[in-house]
Parts: sequence; structure tokens; C-alpha cells
Amino acid sequence: MISVKNLHKYFGKLEVLKGVNLEVKEKEVVVVIGPSGSGKSTFLRCLNKLEEPNDGEIVIDGIPLSSDTNVNAIRREVGMVFQRFNLFPHMTALENIALSPQIVRKLKKDEAVAVGLELLRKVGLSEKAYEYPERLSGGQQQRVAIARALAMKPKIMLFDEPTSALDPEMVGEVLAVMKDLAQEGMTMVVVSHEMGFAKEVGDRVIFMDEGVIMEAGTPEALFNRPQNLRTKAFLSKIL
Amino acid sequence: MVIDWSVAIRSLPILLKGAVITLELTAGAVAMGVVIGMFMALARLSKRWPLRAFATAYIDFLRGTPLLVQIFLVYFAAPQLFHFQPPDKYPYIAGILAMGLNSGAYIAEIFRAGIQSIDRGQSEAARSLGMTQAQALRYIILPQAIKRVIPPLGNEFIAMLKDSSLVAVIAMEELFYSGKLIVGNTLQSFPIYGTVALIYLAMTMTISRILGVVERRLGKSDIR
Repeated sequence: MISVKNLHKYFGKLEVLKGVNLEVKEKEVVVVIGPSGSGKSTFLRCLNKLEEPNDGEIVIDGIPLSSDTNVNAIRREVGMVFQRFNLFPHMTALENIALSPQIVRKLKKDEAVAVGLELLRKVGLSEKAYEYPERLSGGQQQRVAIARALAMKPKIMLFDEPTSALDPEMVGEVLAVMKDLAQEGMTMVVVSHEMGFAKEVGDRVIFMDEGVIMEAGTPEALFNRPQNLRTKAFLSKIL
Repeated sequence: MVIDWSVAIRSLPILLKGAVITLELTAGAVAMGVVIGMFMALARLSKRWPLRAFATAYIDFLRGTPLLVQIFLVYFAAPQLFHFQPPDKYPYIAGILAMGLNSGAYIAEIFRAGIQSIDRGQSEAARSLGMTQAQALRYIILPQAIKRVIPPLGNEFIAMLKDSSLVAVIAMEELFYSGKLIVGNTLQSFPIYGTVALIYLAMTMTISRILGVVERRLGKSDIR
């Protein structure tokens, strides 16, 4: 589903990704962990071209992500959820979800609204359809953001630290929605330090540091028997 | 010379007629400025360097030279350059044109700042949903930016209203020029220029009050 070979990314002279290789199979859930500045967010953002890689090869669902690819075609297949939700503040929850199906997928308004209401029901926010984001808690906003991404019917979902900006009591509701999604067979790449989620839902955990993948394995193996010294050091800090 | 206030009162209809022309000039100029400003702001933020260079040159020139000189350029120099006989209404046209070109440069900077003040995450979210850059701008960025540019746009309107007195130099019969004509006939400079000043003040105060109300309304809808 996702194939990444020798991915390099520079910000000016700073090399943030130093040759990342990763294969993600259909329906697989990959959790990416690592210290801040390790390049994990940049890596994720390269997967839907919010960042332009300097070198390497990315193939998404059979489409190579070269500089002349129709980026919007890729982005329609790849949903993204951000740390800070990034809901559109001038639109209600429902409008947030129903906008891009209309203008990108060319759905009729009532079809898009039906999709939106169905997704709101799925994330447990039916009664908030006509509220503006300011009136929603962080957890609710993030669930709307997930619904918004799902409205485009993506084949892959990327999550960039989806719970790090949330108050602790709201983390659970967002993770629950993500867990449902994984169980329905969504292909997911999740940058997150939620170990419980990684163990329960993740098929594979990847430890990134200094712009490369240092270690990869099943959650059980990586958390309980890390081989790499850096992985051990990192895990000892966060567990 | 004895100060004669009755001249001011008798001249009031003429002065008010001038004030209407002043408002017309200003509204015309700002309307033109909004169109030019939107284009220049987008050009300045464009990825294509020729567009960026053009907009930057335009904005630098019009903000870096006096409006008075620009008015002369449009009124006297343009007919010479383009070989045309100025039509009867040319002071009016040239007045709006010069002021519109000028305010376009200032409004471009207002729009640019407004667009750039919208959090980057907004356009990233829009793009990640498959929207094109144009769609992101139209549905996500501009609706949010408009709210933020209304107060500075109002200030630009007030500044333009005052600067419109400069077109008196091309015999455009707006408020200040009308006053000047009356002073020429009556020599009552203090009552007339005093009244002219008060009429300008009344107009600017009214506009800034209206702006205050609009701003409060916008502020409220931000919290919702």
C-alpha cells in the first residue's frame, strides 16, 4: 500500500530524513515512535506531499509520488489528522466534513451532508453537527477532524500525534475512534507515544531517531525486548 | 478683514456638494483599490517569481512616491505619453484613477497581511483533503482573512478620504477645492476652511464609528 525507499529530506542544510525505508501492507497499522526532532512528523508529511522529499521514492497504492504526480490525486487517497486538529473555524462540524466531498469529489450537497451526518454518528458526535469548532472540546474537535478526513473515503489514514494536544481525559475518546477504524481494516500510519494504543492496535512499531528508522518490530517485541541501545534509552524515558 | 460667519452658512450647500464628490472619489478609489489590492496581494504570495516581482515593484513605486506626484503623472503625463486629448470629465477620472492605483498598493499589503495571518495548518488541512490551492484560498483562507482585513480597510478608507483633498490641484471640485474657490471670492479664509475641516471631521468620525460597530460584531461572531 505504501512503499518508501531511501527517503531524504533537508530543511536548508539540516538533513532531517537520512534515508528512510518502509513498506506498509494493506490494512496494516504502523505506529511510529521516537524523540522530538527525530523526523517522524516530517516523514509522515512526506507521505501526502505536505513536504517535498529531496530524494528517494514513495509509491502510494501503486502511484509513484514524483514531483509531477497530480498531488491532489494522492491526497484524495490519503487522509491526514493533525496534532492541532486544524478544523475550519468559520464552519460548523458538519460543514467541515461535507465541504471537500462537494468541491473535490463533486458530490451533491445532500449526498455530502448525508456522508457527514453518518460520519458524525460514527465518531459519536451526531448532536454536535451544527456547532462551530470553538464550542467543541479538544477531543470532540479531533474526532470531527478524523471524520472530515474519512469523508474523502481515503485508503490510507495518517495521524500526526493526534492526542498530544489533548487534555488527558480526552485522549481515550480519540483513541477509541482510531481503534474502531483499525478494526474496520483501514491502513494507518500513526505517529504517537500512546503505548497502550500501539500494543493493542499496532501491527508494527517503528522507532525513529536522527532521521532514520533505528528499529522496527511487533509492539510486543519492540517494547519488551528492544535490541537497539537508543531504543532502550528512549523507552526507559517514556515507559 | 472682519470674520464673517454668514459666508460659511451661505456656502454650506456648495461645500456639501463638494463633500459628496469627495465621498464619491474616495469610494471609487477604494473600490478600485480593493480589486487591484486583491490581485497584487495574490501575486506577491505567488510561487511564480515574475508575478511576485511585478507586484513588489508596483507596491514599492506607489507607496514610495508622493500621491501628489502620482496625481500629476496621471493627469498631465499620461495624456502626453499615450497621445490622447483629455476628455471633459478627465479631472474626475484621473482623480479616481490616481487614488485607486495608490490605494491598491496599500490595500495589497493589508490583504497580504490578512492572508498570512491565517494559521498554516488551515491551508495544510485543506490541501490534505485534496483541495487545490485555489479552492483552499477560496473556501478556507479568504473567508477567514476577510474578517481580519475589515478594520485596516476602514482605516485605509479614512486615509483616502483625507488624501482626496489633493486632487484639488487638478481642479477637481471636491470639498477642499470648493472651499478654495469660495475663499477666492470672499476672502473669508477662516470661516470657510474651518467649515471644510469640520465637514472632513464629521465624515471621518462617522466612518470610524461605523467601523467600531462592525468590528464589535465581527469580534462577537469570532466567539460564537
